[in-house]
Amino acid sequence: MPLSDLIGIWVAAFLTLAIYSFLYKDNPVYRFAESIFVGISLGYEIGLVFYRTIWPNLVERLIANPGPNWYLAIGGILGLMLYCRYIPKISFLGKWALAVYIGYFVGVELMQRLHGDVLPQIKDTMLPLNGPFWGSLQNLLIVVGVLSVLIYFYFSKPHTGILKPISKVGVYFIMICFGASFGYTVMARISLLIGRLTFLVDGWVRPMIALIFGSS
Amino acid sequence: MSDAMKIGGIDKRWVYLLVAIGALIPIIKPLGLPVLSTPAVEALFEKIESLEPGDVIMLSFDYGPSSAPELDPMAESILRHCFQRDISVVVVALFPLGGDNQAKIALNKIVPEFPVVEGEDYVYLGYKDGGLAVLRRMAEDISIVFPQDNRGIPLEDIPLMQRVQNYSDTELSVSLATGIMGEWWAILVNAQFGQPVAVGATAVSAPKYYAYLKAGQMLSLLGGLKGAAEYETLIGEHYPELKERSQIATRGMDVQSIVHLIIIGFIILGNIVYLISRSERTRAGGRLASK
Repeated sequence: MPLSDLIGIWVAAFLTLAIYSFLYKDNPVYRFAESIFVGISLGYEIGLVFYRTIWPNLVERLIANPGPNWYLAIGGILGLMLYCRYIPKISFLGKWALAVYIGYFVGVELMQRLHGDVLPQIKDTMLPLNGPFWGSLQNLLIVVGVLSVLIYFYFSKPHTGILKPISKVGVYFIMICFGASFGYTVMARISLLIGRLTFLVDGWVRPMIALIFGSS
Repeated sequence: MSDAMKIGGIDKRWVYLLVAIGALIPIIKPLGLPVLSTPAVEALFEKIESLEPGDVIMLSFDYGPSSAPELDPMAESILRHCFQRDISVVVVALFPLGGDNQAKIALNKIVPEFPVVEGEDYVYLGYKDGGLAVLRRMAEDISIVFPQDNRGIPLEDIPLMQRVQNYSDTELSVSLATGIMGEWWAILVNAQFGQPVAVGATAVSAPKYYAYLKAGQMLSLLGGLKGAAEYETLIGEHYPELKERSQIATRGMDVQSIVHLIIIGFIILGNIVYLISRSERTRAGGRLASK
């Protein structure tokens, strides 16, 4: 095994154990590993965005062919203006850039959500209830679930009279939804544990045992 | 203090230790518990089975190391499936914190297993920042967003990319996504551009994505490690020569089963302790009131 790989495996194993040491109690080793993670993540992202996006998509194009690509400079200038907020005298420029960004994003996102999310989901809730028994029962469950949860979140009228039992049904649907989400979340977290334990067993302990005692 | 209250006050570190032991045993000695596939996962497998050799799919690495245990097995299985069937793959990475690395790791692992040529059978275009903006622009022209591939070769010089200008030149887009990114593919790439989209999601995101699956905005949904294990099972059933290589998630499901049993046991125990404690408090309250 190359020395660089060996060092990498030991560093990864140490950092994994350092993070898990928090489960026993908070300690300086955990905080050291956490700080390294935060610092490296930020540095990695800055480098990646600069060399993979800003440089080839903006700088290189402007240098190589500025004529047809002049409009790219607008985005670049707006991006730089965001950093003006750190200079008190011209911090207002940062707000202008932010305003453009928010305006663009809201405009794009609004239509996108409407066409891609709201309308297809509403359409999929308009289901026939007169088909085969089990299909209709499933559709009924969806329709009742959607309507009762919507009524639960309707706060313009007090939940009294007919609204009370319907919103109560909505609460049960929400609770089932939370239960399913919790189950999936547990599975996700255990998957991460599996990933780290598999690394510790198969990537660290076993190769080290093989290295020390021979691979037979 | 009653026995029930003593159990209720158990140090949570004992729970962690039990979970760790429960997870370690199947990792050291796999149990080989069966994994059954579901229609949500079968849809992706069947879609790739239905493609002709030479057809192109897009595979997007929209996750980082924090989701790798769940999504790496999906990436590896899908790449193996495509290369086995001579399906060409355009690989991109859109997740800033490690999507690029995960794509390279997967390709470096799977490519040597098959006689595939970079630029002809697959191409890795690299990472690009911008998320939604990138997805939107790729509908017009991929080369606007990715002027060159990960090696720095202009797209017009890459044989595979001469056949692919935008989504419409591909048969399917697969996003292996953490967080909201899978949703973007459904609400933008599928809903607005009509591209068939399959999403391999982390288990945390999966419940929300079922609404998109049911509405037909996703062709298929692979939810967490279970989804990955199901895909591995399908690969193993149809391509026995790949079975031994596609076992990571399947092995992980042994651990899931054991740890879930432990957690279910603790949930039941916790509820029993809660009910006993409540009845003890009620009785104690009744005695105080009668005095």
